[in-house]
Amino acid sequence: MLFSIRSKLIASLLAVALTVGAVSLYTGVRLLKEHVVGEAANRVRLDLNAASEMYRTRGKTTRMALNITSLGSGFVQAVANRNHPELLYHLRHMAQHAELDFAGITTDNSLMLCRIGPHEAVRVPETNEILLVRLALERKAPVDGTVILSREMLMRENPELAAKAHIPLPAKGDPSGTGAETSGMALAAAVPIFDGNAVIGVLYGGKLLNRSETIVDTVRDTVFQKETYKNRSVGTATIFLNDIRIATNVLTPEGRRAIGTRASAEVKTAVLDQGRNWTERAYVVDDWCITAYEPIEDINGHRIGMLYVGAQEKKYTDIPKNALTLFILITAGGMVLAVSFGFVLANRIMGPVQRLIEASRQVSDGSLQPEIGPIQRGEFGVLQGTFKEMVAAMERRQADSEDKIIQSAKQASVGRLAAGVAHEINNPLTGVLTYTHMLLRRKDLDAEVRTDLETIAAATERVRKIVKGLLDFARQTQLDPEPTDINRIISGTVALLENQALVKGVAVKFIPGENLPLVTLDRNQIQSVMINLVINALDATTAGDSVRIFTAAGVSGTGAARKGIEITVADTGAGVHPDHLGKLFDPFFTTKAVGQGTGLGLSVSQGIVQRHGGQIRVQSELNKGTRFFVWLPVTHTGGQP
Amino acid sequence: MKIVVVDDEEIVLRSCRKILEAEGFEVLMATSVDDALDTIDTQNEPTPFLLLIDVKMPVRDGMQLMRIVKARRPDLPIIVMSGYPTQETIQTAGSLGAAHFIAKPFTPDELLSIVFSVPEVKKNHNH
Repeated sequence: MLFSIRSKLIASLLAVALTVGAVSLYTGVRLLKEHVVGEAANRVRLDLNAASEMYRTRGKTTRMALNITSLGSGFVQAVANRNHPELLYHLRHMAQHAELDFAGITTDNSLMLCRIGPHEAVRVPETNEILLVRLALERKAPVDGTVILSREMLMRENPELAAKAHIPLPAKGDPSGTGAETSGMALAAAVPIFDGNAVIGVLYGGKLLNRSETIVDTVRDTVFQKETYKNRSVGTATIFLNDIRIATNVLTPEGRRAIGTRASAEVKTAVLDQGRNWTERAYVVDDWCITAYEPIEDINGHRIGMLYVGAQEKKYTDIPKNALTLFILITAGGMVLAVSFGFVLANRIMGPVQRLIEASRQVSDGSLQPEIGPIQRGEFGVLQGTFKEMVAAMERRQADSEDKIIQSAKQASVGRLAAGVAHEINNPLTGVLTYTHMLLRRKDLDAEVRTDLETIAAATERVRKIVKGLLDFARQTQLDPEPTDINRIISGTVALLENQALVKGVAVKFIPGENLPLVTLDRNQIQSVMINLVINALDATTAGDSVRIFTAAGVSGTGAARKGIEITVADTGAGVHPDHLGKLFDPFFTTKAVGQGTGLGLSVSQGIVQRHGGQIRVQSELNKGTRFFVWLPVTHTGGQP
Repeated sequence: MKIVVVDDEEIVLRSCRKILEAEGFEVLMATSVDDALDTIDTQNEPTPFLLLIDVKMPVRDGMQLMRIVKARRPDLPIIVMSGYPTQETIQTAGSLGAAHFIAKPFTPDELLSIVFSVPEVKKNHNH
């Protein structure tokens, strides 16, 4: 069964399914991995740009709000007049609208005038230490950017801010050992207040980034459009102070914002120490992410923190993973399909094959009517057709050879009988002939007696002919073959029978073929065949008919194609009844009137032709005529004895 | 002229005698090979005569007779007759020195034309 067509077919289909599956699996997953993860990295890089833009916009917005306030009606006047209540009103208004955590006004030499918060009234002279304020004074122009505010500065602005900025650090991985980050990072701006051309003070304000959710969540919600994967936001954003997460929506395993945790040392080195952008996968808090980091610099260009956006890597790596599963399922499905398809196909192919095998078995068991089933289309149908033809040919040949065996058995027994009878009859017949003829010699015979004697003589002549026919039939003479010009034999035969034909009024014409090869044959025997055929033709014709004889070079119609010649004897006579055609060569078969033929002539002729290795066959149409064809090989190879 | 006819069938012997005597031949009949040899031996030599021999006979056949006769009297003309003439018989007869071959049955005229075609007969028979 392992080598059956069925298994081979199934194995091939399976191999195809497996190969196609494996190749598409490999290439598909590879392509997906490259493209999806690559695309994700690109996307995160772009997202970082967006986030960075949003971060900077935030600073600009603050500066704009300060600018607008500083140019507001009565503001410069209130500063000049140190009108605290009015200034505080402006500050509160501004802080509320611009979402500022701290805001204040200094004099032109950085002394605090007033600020929002619990320490709004500055009683002790106090110098503002915020870098931006000094820069605004120096440049006489608005500035904005990221600033670091120490705990003291925060305390001065608002103790609540200091509390908010205080970020305890987990003991583990705390190189400074302080146990907490107390500084605050803020996005702030400072605007010089002009009275005419003179700067009379600075308006400043800003937003503390520590624990601020607005920026990071805005980034997440805008850039990643609140996309979630497995109940977690796909995208995350973080603002680092140095390497410490101070504002983030990256969650700890417990589900809290991972504030106070640190960036990996690798990232810190690349981004903070070397100032490069980082866009690679990185382990963020508790999960692999596709990340992008860029440094945050203060207005002097010092790297003070980092901005980060990232996307859960799992979402992207799961795509190829899911695809892989899908591909495997499809391949498995394909294999199942291949097996079942192979089975169906094998059955469709093998069904007729099995039937044909069975039919062959039937033939070898002797049946010549095997059942081969319905004829298929295509090559298999051709095979079935050929098989059918083969069986039919076998059947024909078997019938033929059975016929031949019967024929030759018949001939042999008739031959023995004829020989015995002929020998025994010929002796008394000699007596009858002698005495009749001797009597007829007498001159004194009565006329009636003479007539009677002549009748006896004629009848005896008939007997003699019959016995001669029998003997000719029985005679198993050896051939005496010699190379012969067949046309000469036939010319001789025609000359012999010309008178007979003339009397009947039948035209006998011989059309000799040209350039015929010499044929090795027994002249006497072949001549007797020709005489027999021409006499038969003459017997079948009446006055006005014709007998024509042709010779031509010809190749044997059946069996091996051998060189030979073909003699055709065609008459326009009565023709042979179809029922009689098959019996024509049987011994003793005759259609002639009693006494006219022995029924041995054609049988004897056939024997002679066959002994020459040739064939004799007949075509006839009733009332149209008959054609006998004698084919003789150029060199005969013995033939039957 | 004498003609010895050898055949185991009496009707053939009688037929031949009837035909040949009518033509003035002296006909001696033998029914077997031995009989034929006796007949030949009793004839005074060198009387010219003709042998007409049948092929198929019991005990010894015509061919054997021919061999013996040809050995003793090669000059004797022999005509062979047979009721079952085959190519082989005719050839054997010819090779053993038969002057002619005739198939049975025959009419008187057929036999006579054969007999008279033998040169010795032409020479010696004065009818």
